[in-house]
Amino acid sequence: MNKISHSFDIHKKTILTLLLILAFIWSLFSVNWGPELVHTGGKATLAQIFESLFHPQLSSEIINLALIATWRTLSYAVAGMTLAIIIAILFGVLASGVLAKSELSRRFSKGVFRGILGFMRAIHELIWAWLFVASIGLTPYAAIFALAIPYGGILGRIFADIINDVPKEPIEALYSAGASRIQLLFYGYLPMAASDMISYTMYRFECAVRSSTVMSFVGLGGIGFQIQLALQDLNYNQVWTYMFFLIILVVLIDLWSNILRKRLVE
Amino acid sequence: MKKKILLPKLKYKFNFVNFSILIAIVLIIASWMFIYKVDKADFGGLFTEKNAFYAKKFLKGMFGIGEETPAFKDAESWKNVLKLTYETLQMSVMAAGFASIGMLLTVIPAARNVAEGKLTLSKKWYNWILFGFIRVIYIFSRSVPELVWAMIIIFIFKPGIFPGALALAIHNFGIIGKLCAEVIEDTDLRPIRNLASCGASSGQILIYGVMPAVMPKFLTYILYRWEVIIRTTIVVGFVGAGGLGMDFKLAMSYFKYSEVTLILICYLFLVALADIVSEGARKLSS
Repeated sequence: MNKISHSFDIHKKTILTLLLILAFIWSLFSVNWGPELVHTGGKATLAQIFESLFHPQLSSEIINLALIATWRTLSYAVAGMTLAIIIAILFGVLASGVLAKSELSRRFSKGVFRGILGFMRAIHELIWAWLFVASIGLTPYAAIFALAIPYGGILGRIFADIINDVPKEPIEALYSAGASRIQLLFYGYLPMAASDMISYTMYRFECAVRSSTVMSFVGLGGIGFQIQLALQDLNYNQVWTYMFFLIILVVLIDLWSNILRKRLVE
Repeated sequence: MKKKILLPKLKYKFNFVNFSILIAIVLIIASWMFIYKVDKADFGGLFTEKNAFYAKKFLKGMFGIGEETPAFKDAESWKNVLKLTYETLQMSVMAAGFASIGMLLTVIPAARNVAEGKLTLSKKWYNWILFGFIRVIYIFSRSVPELVWAMIIIFIFKPGIFPGALALAIHNFGIIGKLCAEVIEDTDLRPIRNLASCGASSGQILIYGVMPAVMPKFLTYILYRWEVIIRTTIVVGFVGAGGLGMDFKLAMSYFKYSEVTLILICYLFLVALADIVSEGARKLSS
């Protein structure tokens, strides 16, 4: 018995890899491989799309439109993130359980708020968007709330983990000096957690921009909406122009957050 | 004689962190102003009677109130949705598989220390070109959301599981490639120097030195991405790429809100399952 478990210990990585490969092969059987996989004329479309990649439409009119749409996407993402940060700090602090006095109430607030945060992030932002559009109509708020809820859930959970991971010695020093729970939070936990929190928020901000692009699918404006319109017109040259604007936006934010994260570590 | 006191000169130093916070505040104010002024989003207008009516109707529909047989009590629709759930699972596994294959084929030249020739101890002139080229492809595929990829791919392939998996794979290929290239950049160089001093060729160094060191981390990242992919499978279905998402869209368009609830239940179940499986597998691999 011991021998078997020992040999399992050695080979468990190989077994896991094999299992994953088997799962992938199993998934391949779901597709009916054959010529009917591709549209008639699909190959020609592919060639056309690929060719127009090198000839994006760059008239001033399109660029103007793209700039406004990019800004709209960015502003929805920023607005959604502001709400998400507020939600995340409130729920994250409660989910970390540092405010609770007794062991029992600590467990309770941890359990309840971690559960809420888990539910918020389990559902994709586009589904939230659709549910909001169905209930409050086509306003930018639908996009903003739809971004704020899942991102609040993700950020809140990470904030709670960061707060729980701060070194305990300074907190104990404050506590023995007679600080209250609230003072412990503001002078102990939050200042120590701040740089990690900012760097994770920046990372998520980049994701939020991408999500905000996708919001257009349920009818909310932005660069995604322009891409969709151009695609429906079969105007691939325009599609790539908008795509390039989106890529530039994402890359710029990526650069910003990379530099900021490096400075915060120093 | 009076002694002169030397005061340290106050020098303005550019502080990137403070500068970033300033930009962030400006961005936040500008965005909210834009939404409020240009898009004329009226916050008070959210709480009109009309909205309350629709929200109530929607919520009632979701809980199946006033419907004879809500979809979540109907065996036939359960069967249908469970079959779609199974398909969605297959789609996510396929997407993760394609992304991993693409990553494994390209990741080695995409690491900076390979391009510099530190890792394989062989300098080639084309390494830097290959490095730049693959990194640009990573950025390109990563910056475009999976739904937009799906919108384009649906022009080429017929609706079904495959185009959805492909769209998810393209987007995740960029992310997983970047993460795994960073893993290679962080590998310990000592075992590799040891191999090299024993006379191993660059291919042998790759197989016996680099691969064993990075594979566990690769597996962790692949599993983590698979978890994310499961969450997004429903989204690529919206544009006709099969799975739960397509049914969700149809149910929404036909105002069959109780079916929406059923689909969401299955979806949440799938997400929870993915969490448990990937957690277990990660424990096994570490």
